[in-house]
Amino acid sequence: MTTSSLPTVIELLARSLDIDPASITGQTELESLGADSLTVIEVIFDLEEQFGIQVGDERPDLKIVQDLADQIDRRIAAGAVAP
Amino acid sequence: MSNQRVVITGIGAISALGAGAGHNFEQALRGRSGIGMLELAGGRQRAGLPAAQIRYPLPELIKASEQALFDRNALLGWSAASEALQQSGIVPGDDLSADSGVFWGTGMGGATTVEAGYVDLFVEGKSRVRPMSVVAGMNNAAAAQIALRCQFKGTVNNYSSACVSSAQAIGEAYRHIHHGYAERVLAGGSEALLSYGVVSAWDALRVLAPANADDAARSCRPFSAGRSGLVLGEGAAAVMLESLESAHRRGATILAELVGYGASNDATHITKPDVEGQQRAMTMALRQARLDPSAIGYINAHGAGTAAGDLVETQSIRGVFGAAADKVMVSSTKSVHGHTLGAAGALEFVLTVQALTSGSIPPTAFLDQADPECDLDYVPLEARHGRVLQAAMSNSFAFGGSNVSLIVQRY
Repeated sequence: MTTSSLPTVIELLARSLDIDPASITGQTELESLGADSLTVIEVIFDLEEQFGIQVGDERPDLKIVQDLADQIDRRIAAGAVAP
Repeated sequence: MSNQRVVITGIGAISALGAGAGHNFEQALRGRSGIGMLELAGGRQRAGLPAAQIRYPLPELIKASEQALFDRNALLGWSAASEALQQSGIVPGDDLSADSGVFWGTGMGGATTVEAGYVDLFVEGKSRVRPMSVVAGMNNAAAAQIALRCQFKGTVNNYSSACVSSAQAIGEAYRHIHHGYAERVLAGGSEALLSYGVVSAWDALRVLAPANADDAARSCRPFSAGRSGLVLGEGAAAVMLESLESAHRRGATILAELVGYGASNDATHITKPDVEGQQRAMTMALRQARLDPSAIGYINAHGAGTAAGDLVETQSIRGVFGAAADKVMVSSTKSVHGHTLGAAGALEFVLTVQALTSGSIPPTAFLDQADPECDLDYVPLEARHGRVLQAAMSNSFAFGGSNVSLIVQRY
């Protein structure tokens, strides 16, 4: 895992919620941004498209923005070792 | 069972004529057409067709994070519904929220969302669709979003009966309040189906008017000798219906009283209109309103601009109104806002309410060639002002044989 998806996660969240990306860090709680479960599903869909991955049916406990980035990073890493 | 009187305390509309009930009415009075050449989003066009398309940016009423949840149908619906709510002065979440409902009509609901999903799957070759496809595309999406935003926690019903959908929603809402099931219902409908797939389906049915060669704006000519079919439109309209008691308690401004609703089915043919079926709806509405036909000063006709439909409606009105048919003013505002399908009944009802309250009658635009067989007073070309009306009727007829007639009376 050489690069983190965190900047992209922040960018997509900011666009989806129409807020300043500078107001979001990895430690920001998703709930405090007004991102409900449906918003997170949308953002994950867009991240999948962006990175060419499939998160699939995983439903990890996503509390902060970094949790979301970590999930995406794990998928990117898994995809990188795939044949 | 109670027999509450039902009044209108708010109206809202959005169509190709513009945003806002008042603005729509002014444009209709001027005979300003919202019809132009259809321009579909995306690469595919159905060439040569006119449409009453909303080309201006929609009012920004929802948050960016909510966009994915909203089909254009629900966006239009909330635009009209929020206007009606605001005018009524009802505050979301007040102590009557449990006695407040939403009755909404739409022909095809979130059809464009469904179609976009099919494009992703079958054209783009993707293996999946957008995650909000279900909640944006479902036919009750608009009603649900309206209820959510108004905090109306009573009955929320959806009506899908093609081109009478929203007229039926208003009529059933009237009965709902009349019989004491709710104090208030935000009723109306919305339609947004100007997509390649849906327009192609309408085109295949051979009921669409071709574009007028000189001016596309003049393509829909109800009751005219040269009429050549209907012009598809998009839009939404809503009325805040309320028991008279509720309106009085709040000190609300009462615009008019809804006094009659008639509904029938032809049960004769899936598309061909039927004189007797239409007459049953008008007669039922008059009986409910306890009005003689002569009390009706204006009829906003269904008048879609098809050869058969306009003639049958003319005959139906003659049959029901008898001698009064020669005195009643009849116009089809579809000549300017097109056929907004599931939203049509509500949009035309909102115009009818304004005609009643203002005394100004919107014309049938572009009716410069009379059809000898269509022999009522269709208020051709020019609006009429200063008319004192006791009551007015709005007719809506649909494929599937459904007929709805609504009567509104001065309060």
